[in-house]
Amino acid sequence: MSRKVVEIAGKRLFLSNLEKDLYPSYGFTKAHILEYYRRIAEFILPHLKDRALTLKRYPEGVEKDFFFEKRCPSHRPEWVKTMDLRRDDGERMTVCLVNDLKTLIWVENLASLELHVPLARVGSPETPDSMVFDLDPGDQANILDCARVALILRDLLLELRLTCYVKTSGKKGLHADVPLNRKETTFEDTKNFSKAVAKIMQKNYPDLVTAKMAKEHRKRRVFINWSQNDSSKTMICVYSLRAREKPIVSFPLSWRELETFMRQHDPEKPQVMHSNAVSRAEHRGDLFREVLVKEQKLPHL
Amino acid sequence: MAVQGIWSGTISFSLVAIPVQLVKAVEPGHVSFRVLHSKDYSPLQRRMFCPEEDRIVPPDEIIRGYEIGPHQYVLITDEELESVSPERSRTIEIGEFIDMKEVDSIYYDHPYYLVPTKGGEKAYQLLVEVMRRTNKAGLAKFVLGEREYLVAVKSTEGALALITLHYSEEILADEDITPREGKIEVEEKDRIKKSIRKMMADFEPGKYADDRRKKIVDLLKKKVKEKALVEAPEVEEEEGGGPPDLVAALEESMRKVKKSR
Repeated sequence: MSRKVVEIAGKRLFLSNLEKDLYPSYGFTKAHILEYYRRIAEFILPHLKDRALTLKRYPEGVEKDFFFEKRCPSHRPEWVKTMDLRRDDGERMTVCLVNDLKTLIWVENLASLELHVPLARVGSPETPDSMVFDLDPGDQANILDCARVALILRDLLLELRLTCYVKTSGKKGLHADVPLNRKETTFEDTKNFSKAVAKIMQKNYPDLVTAKMAKEHRKRRVFINWSQNDSSKTMICVYSLRAREKPIVSFPLSWRELETFMRQHDPEKPQVMHSNAVSRAEHRGDLFREVLVKEQKLPHL
Repeated sequence: MAVQGIWSGTISFSLVAIPVQLVKAVEPGHVSFRVLHSKDYSPLQRRMFCPEEDRIVPPDEIIRGYEIGPHQYVLITDEELESVSPERSRTIEIGEFIDMKEVDSIYYDHPYYLVPTKGGEKAYQLLVEVMRRTNKAGLAKFVLGEREYLVAVKSTEGALALITLHYSEEILADEDITPREGKIEVEEKDRIKKSIRKMMADFEPGKYADDRRKKIVDLLKKKVKEKALVEAPEVEEEEGGGPPDLVAALEESMRKVKKSR
């Protein structure tokens, strides 16, 4: 077992199993993963900041077992920022906050390839700072169907003077995020609003969209999962790797890109690999930045 | 430690005052379950039910009463409860030092650690060391949450542990439980002593694990792997699509979108 000591911001960190191939059919080791997160850090960290991280760990790689960890591992270094939360069932839980590079690298050394975070920050757990439409293609539908839905959704929300931003889920779907960033917003608001939108979409595009979770409704359609707008749910963080065959990233797209992909009819095109993710982010900056800062009010509630 | 303290203040005796933080020393490892409706796997909620009116009672209609006899209660308001609650401690004032051996373990309630905060490290280490050598523990009264506790502060593996103790009135008398003293045969006594000696070992807590917890976790992992999962239905109360104003606005916007496409 190889061990290596690195120093980040004055703190020593032990890295282990660096040569272990965690994406065996593609060939991407722990060292590659740490390198990806180191380079994407300046883009991903603002989106992780002050959010209770759910680790999704793949100690034996993406083809083997994984486990979710909502509690911050107790063997953490003393400098890892944590927060004590009380869960719905009254139990206390200590969570990790990934607010800096050293914590990000520590978490990745635990093989938490995927980083999942709630829509609210720890200081205001009942205030979502964005509303999300999780577009999930059913059997025989793909990411291009999601793109079609996302574009209609964008136009519909624009009519209500709401701007939204889109990213790939890194799996098969897309996520459309509506920034809110107002302390008055509640999850009840975002849930009611997104559900009403999902239903009107289903009503007008019954062959393309369903607002129902049940499998039989989802075949050949895109499921608009509005129920993600909940304090107990988490979403894959933008710029996080996904545990698939290849190291694909949940990555922001411009609407123009999405329109181009739709015309090209190639469902592989919208997916962004680790290497492209870094160069594209460096080239054009964080397309999801507005999600963190833009203030918008949900009308008609 | 970067852990969030439960409490921070100072620990003091005679002229010494050391700034410290109280952190938890144990994290119970039990596995908790949600309760579901067997028919459709909806997660269930607890509600307060009034058998008299045969209905669920909302929170603002719920008050507290102390039962003094059949159908007789003394009402207590939140304000009244608060007025008798002790004030939050700012210091753990050690009144006396005792020999830890004198405290029967039955008095032990819950363990915490005290960790030094800025400026207290040196005095803290000194106290840890002296207490370790003398095997003494400090006794203090300490308010945590709403309760006042009797606590013992002792040295443990290079740190200070704070253990809340039960008050003697909470300990059940053992008179009724243990058998009356009878005559003990000397031979019998020797035999038991010998067996104990044979089985002597050092206390190594790491050797023992919560087997049931491990079995439950393994069982859960196996079932997840086998995809023995059930899905709760989405909550769909009414067919209406949400607040009427919003639905109207959405209908209108949708018409415009469709027209322009």
